[in-house]
Formats: sequence, structure tokens, C-alpha cells
Amino acid sequence: MVEPGGAGQGGDDKAYLWRLHRIFALYVVGVAAFLILMAWAEQQGLSRHWIGPIFLFLTVMVYAGIGVYGRTTDPEEYYVAGRRIPPVYNGMAAAADWMSAASFISLSGALYLQGFSGTRGQAGGLAYLLGWTGGFCLVAMLIAPHLRAMGLYTVPDFFHVRFGGRWPRIIAALAAVLCSFTYVVAQIYGVGLIASRLTGVQFEIGIMLGLGGVLLCSFLGGMRAITWTQVAQYVVLLLAFLIPVSWLAYKQLGNPLAPLVYGTQLGKIADLEERLLDSPAEHQVVVAYLRRAQDYEARLKDVEGALEREREKARERVRTLRDQNADVGLIVSASRELVALPRDAVSARERWTREMRENYERARPLGGLPLHSQAYAGNPDGSPHERQEYELTRRNFLALMFCLMVGTAGLPHLLTRYYTSPTVAAARSSVAWSLFFIALLYLSAPALAVLVKFEVMQNLVGSSFDTLPSWMAQWARVDASLLSVEDVNGDGLVQFGEIRLGADLIMLATPELGGLPYVVSGLVAAGGLAAALSTADGLLLTISNALVRDLYYRGAPREASPEQRVILTKFTLLSVALAAAFVAALKPAEILPLVSASFSLAASAFVPVMVLGIFWRGTTRQGAVAGMLAGLGVAVYYMLSHVAAMRAWVGWLLADGLWFGIQPISAGVFGVPAGLIVAAVVSRITRPAPALPVVRSEM
Amino acid sequence: MQPLKKIHEPELAGPFPPDMHDVRHLWLKGGLLLAWALVSFVAAYFARDLQAFVVAGWPLGHWIAAQGAVLMFIAIVVVYCWAMNRFERQDAARMAALTIERAPSHG
Repeated sequence: MVEPGGAGQGGDDKAYLWRLHRIFALYVVGVAAFLILMAWAEQQGLSRHWIGPIFLFLTVMVYAGIGVYGRTTDPEEYYVAGRRIPPVYNGMAAAADWMSAASFISLSGALYLQGFSGTRGQAGGLAYLLGWTGGFCLVAMLIAPHLRAMGLYTVPDFFHVRFGGRWPRIIAALAAVLCSFTYVVAQIYGVGLIASRLTGVQFEIGIMLGLGGVLLCSFLGGMRAITWTQVAQYVVLLLAFLIPVSWLAYKQLGNPLAPLVYGTQLGKIADLEERLLDSPAEHQVVVAYLRRAQDYEARLKDVEGALEREREKARERVRTLRDQNADVGLIVSASRELVALPRDAVSARERWTREMRENYERARPLGGLPLHSQAYAGNPDGSPHERQEYELTRRNFLALMFCLMVGTAGLPHLLTRYYTSPTVAAARSSVAWSLFFIALLYLSAPALAVLVKFEVMQNLVGSSFDTLPSWMAQWARVDASLLSVEDVNGDGLVQFGEIRLGADLIMLATPELGGLPYVVSGLVAAGGLAAALSTADGLLLTISNALVRDLYYRGAPREASPEQRVILTKFTLLSVALAAAFVAALKPAEILPLVSASFSLAASAFVPVMVLGIFWRGTTRQGAVAGMLAGLGVAVYYMLSHVAAMRAWVGWLLADGLWFGIQPISAGVFGVPAGLIVAAVVSRITRPAPALPVVRSEM
Repeated sequence: MQPLKKIHEPELAGPFPPDMHDVRHLWLKGGLLLAWALVSFVAAYFARDLQAFVVAGWPLGHWIAAQGAVLMFIAIVVVYCWAMNRFERQDAARMAALTIERAPSHG
């Protein structure tokens, strides 16, 4: 999938385009043939232990092959793929670049867990869907064509060319590194999750395996190789999403076109939810969790004493088991419990507080999940408390949507994708194609959430614990926070409140949940991997370009040939990737919160100044610097204010409580206006004498 | 959407501060952004009220948020592409007409 050396004009263009179409069609046929072959092999008795690794290995090899084939040290090719990617393929590559592990792995899960809007404490649900598509309207109209018209290489380049001087560029480069790094950590976490489940290796080794794939593509070929691997990855991830959704829809509704028909399941889920709310067994589960939570609360009143009592109890158990000459396994597990107790009062307090909160969370009807199709929690006509609940949920929903939309328009790795199109008009249609290719998947994501929820409520709930499918145990082994099922009320049947699924799990487990062949599981994992890798590629390239091109070389005039610069960029990329892998191995947070945070950062740092710079001639360099610092500063400050560790450190400095009830994840709501106002005011103050206007009607 | 077509525009790396924006372009952007805000923020704000209307088995609020808005976004971007290409063609035609008009006086 690599283009000929130099595309000429006219007839050559057409030949080039046809060549691309032909290669693309061949690739799609190849992927389909491979799938059919694997399905056949499974029927012939190919072991499950082989299917997962074959999928992972082969897809990564294909991406790497494209990366090697597209290798380059030519700067024009390395930074912007020679600026001759046709809009359709550019759109596909942008879609793959855009749809990260968060979209592919977590979006359906979030829709499953949060329903329409999430809760006031954790907004989400359809806000993700709207935010990640609506932002493209801003990209198409306000930013991408204008940046393309300037003939730039990176996003900080814009600040350099538009405002001149050092500081706008340096701040932009640092902000690009900050938000891209947060984002890339989430991707690599996703890679580790998939690789460790499918091959059974440790999480950390899974990360390293996936990292190899990322590096092979981006390390060798830069933007050119990445573009074509992303096109290849898009095909895999689209198939991997649509096949299980269509299959489930066909199974439940007799029609594979899930987005068109899942409306009827919404009604059925509402009925099932009502039945679950009335079910006595569910009430027992709620009471059991409540008791646990109260137990933790009691312990927290006297941490030292409770810890001593717990230790004594565990020791006592080990002793009695030894005295009875009980089974060795029992003794070992009892002593392991003793060891697993918190070491000191501080960690005990921390852990028990968390457990208490979790249990209170689960001690609510439907396991704490909101009603699936109800817009916003609470009730606008209810008691004052309910009214406030409603108001806050809606406000947080809108705030999150705003941050994601504006963040879309500011994320450097997406914007550089439109630098690769041949003309300004092509940049515009590239955005349209990206949105189209993204929508193909996003329109099915809510359908998947609904179908899976129906499957769980209808078939899993009420089944016996003895007949639980084996995949549940396997996932629980990867990470207990992803999936836990426990017979809390002791009746031997699964209740809805007893199942806890993590947002990152639901998509990956869908094929097994729906009883699909194992090949589909392999495909879904390969799709998740493709989504994470494609985004990680783009992000790593952005980070290393910002560090080397915008900070190192522009910082001081240095003697270096373009090839040397490219080589230095490659090695920076390697070290950034390793650093990101190291952070991801610490499992800092779930995928979605990390990603949302980087959107808020990008929104506040870039968008206000970029839009002002493009549309208002009066923006000055000082205004730009002040605006970026103010936007970024407010967003970072508000986010850090609510990190527990920071509170303990410099609590007196930080914002007390929430501003207008907005959660820290949507810090961009404050960062964007702050950046806009500060940039405008400072520009106004430092305005130079007016220059003669030049009218140009392009764009 | 137009296929790969080389328009011979200069790969300009400036001149910046930006050129004046064509008023028609700004009106187009303004109108489309209004549609964008209506379908995303306003519709989401009133989602609970829209939920009461059920159209063809779908609660309307949910349908707009899950599908209608996304389709609308695509429409907005496509309309923008189409209109901008049209403006550019018009401008190019006008420029061509101007040069033809001027040519005889020079020759």
C-alpha cells in the first residue's frame, strides 16, 4: 500500500489514484479471505490457544510490513507524507488515528454502564459519542483548511508562523507533548490489556509486545508509513466492530443492520429494568452490599483498633485451620489473606475508604447503573434533591460534550493528518470523509451497548453460578476490576447487582457473551489492537516532532541536515514510547478518564488562541502567549485541585470544591473561555499600529 | 466530495497575519455553526422533554443524541465542502472573466 515515487499531474494523478484503489481492494479481499480461513480452521478444530496469538501476530506483522515498505528519511515524506494522500484515504487514516482504544474498547462499555448521560459525579454516555463526532464540524470549518493553506509541518508551526518569536512555539510544543502523552499512555494501556488476555502473558509483557508493533510503523516511516498502516488498521477495526454487532442484532432481532433496528430493544430493556427493580433477590443483594459498606464505615471510625482486630481474626483462623489439620490449600489461602491485610493505618484507611465507597456504590438498585434510556439522573419535577441531581447531571453532560468537541479541534495528532492532503479543498473533504468513516462505527456503538445489556439481563441474570461460562473466570484473572461476579446473597443464582463489568471489558467480551465463535473474539481483539496502535502511532509522531523539530532545532540554529533531524526524531520517538510504556505499566487510571483529561488540556491550550489567530487579525504575540498560558493554567489547576495526592501536598493553594458543580474531567469548560478572554484582552492592550489589509478569497 | 484534483495554489507559508476572510464564507460558517449548536447543545439540553415523543419506536431524545446528531454533523460538513467549492469555482470564473476582459486592452 505504498504510492509510487512522484505523483505528477493530470493523467498521472488518475493512474496513481487507481493504483491505490486497486491495492486497497486487494487488501480488503485479503482480510476477508483470512477471516474465512480462520473460521474454517476453527471448525476443523484449531485450538483457541492458537487463534488469539495468530490474530495478534499476523495483524501486527502486516502493519509492520507496510511500515517497513513505506520507510523514508525524506523530511517532506516523514512529516507530511509528501502532501499527496487522496481525501478518501486521508479520511480513513484520520478515522483510525481518531478512534483510539477509548472509542473501540471503552465507548460501548461506557454506554452500557452509563446509559444516556451517566451520573452527576461521572458524566458520560452519549456525551462521548456526540463530543467525538461534533468536534469535526469545528475542525472542518474553523481550523483544518486554514492550517492546510499555510503549508505547515506540525501544529506548533502554526504558532511560530502566525505569531513569530519563541514563546508561542515553545508553549504550543510543550502543550502538545503534555496532552499527547496523557493520551498515548491510555492507548498503550489498552494494548497491554488486549495482548495479555489473548496470549495469556503478563500485562507488562503485553505492553512490550504491542509497543514493538507501534515502533516498527512509526519508527521507520514517519507520516507516510503511518498513513498507510492506519488505512490498513481502519479496515480491521471497522470489521471487528461491525461483525459482532451485526451478529448480535441478527440473533436478537433477525436483522443485522443494528443501528436501524435496536430501538425496539430500548423498550424491552426498560421493562426488564422495571422487573429487576421489583425483584426481591436484587433487594437482598443491595442489602448485602449495604451491610459490607457499613462494616467498612465502622472500621474507619477506629482504624488502628480495627486493623488489629482484623489481623487477630486472620491469625486465629490460620491457627484453627492448622490445629484441625485442614487441607493445605485452605491454610495457604487463609495466610495469604493475613498477608494481604493493609500494612499500616494509613494504607488501611485508604483501602477501606475505597472499599466502603465501592460497596455503597453497588448497594443501589441495578448495581448503581442508571436507567438505560432515561436522559439525566434525578427528576426535574421531583423533590429539591432530585431537581438538583437532574440539573447537575445535565450540566456535567453538556460540559463534557463541550470539552470533547473543542478538544477534537485542538488535538495536534488529528490536525496534522490534514496537512497530508494535496490541496485546501482536499483538506475540507478529508474532514468530511473522516467523519463519515468514524460515524460508521459510532452509530453502531450505542446499538452494541443496548444489545449487550439485553443479553446480560435476559440470559445471564438468573442463571446458576455453577454454569457460569469459562470466559468470565479468564477475564477476572486478567484484572479483578474488569469483571467480578460474586454470589452475594448466597442463592446460587446470578443477580444483576452481583455482576460488575468494567467499561474496558464489555466490547472485548461481547463475542463470548453472545456465544459467537472464538474467531470473532480474536477479530475483536485485533480490532482493539488496531485502534490503540493507530492512535499511538500518530501520537508518538506528534510528540517526537514537537520535541525535536519545534523545541530542539527551532530553539537555536543548529547545523544539521534534514536527514539527521529525521534520525534524531526517530530516536526521540523511541524514548518517548518507552516512557509511555513505563507509565502505562503502573496502571494509573482507566482509559476513558485519561483520554478525557487530554481533551480538556488540548481544548484549553490550543483552540482559543488558534481560532483567534486565524479569524482575528488583531491577535498579538503577547496575547497568544497569555491566552495559552491562561487556558492551560486554569485547566491544569482545576484538574490537579481534585487529585487527592495534590490536595494533601499543597491543599491551601488549590480550588476548594467544585466550581458550579462541574467535575474536574471537564476542566476545559473553564480553560477555553479563560484562554479566549485573556488572549483577546492582552492583544487589545498590546496592539501594534494597523497594517494594510490584503484580501485573499481562497479557503 | 471532490476527488483528488490538483488546484495550482501556491504552497504559501505566510503571508500572515491572516488575510481578510470573505464575508460569504463567514456567513456560511456562522449559519452552519448555529445548526451545529442547535442539534448538539440545545437538543441535549431538552433531551428529557424530547424523550416523551416516540417516533417509529424510538424515544426522540435518545435517537437524536445517538444517531440524529451524528448524521446532522456529517450533513453540516458536507454542505460546507460543497458550498466552499462552489464559492471557489465562482471566484475562479470571475477572475478568469476579468483577465479576459483585460487582455485586449493590453494587446
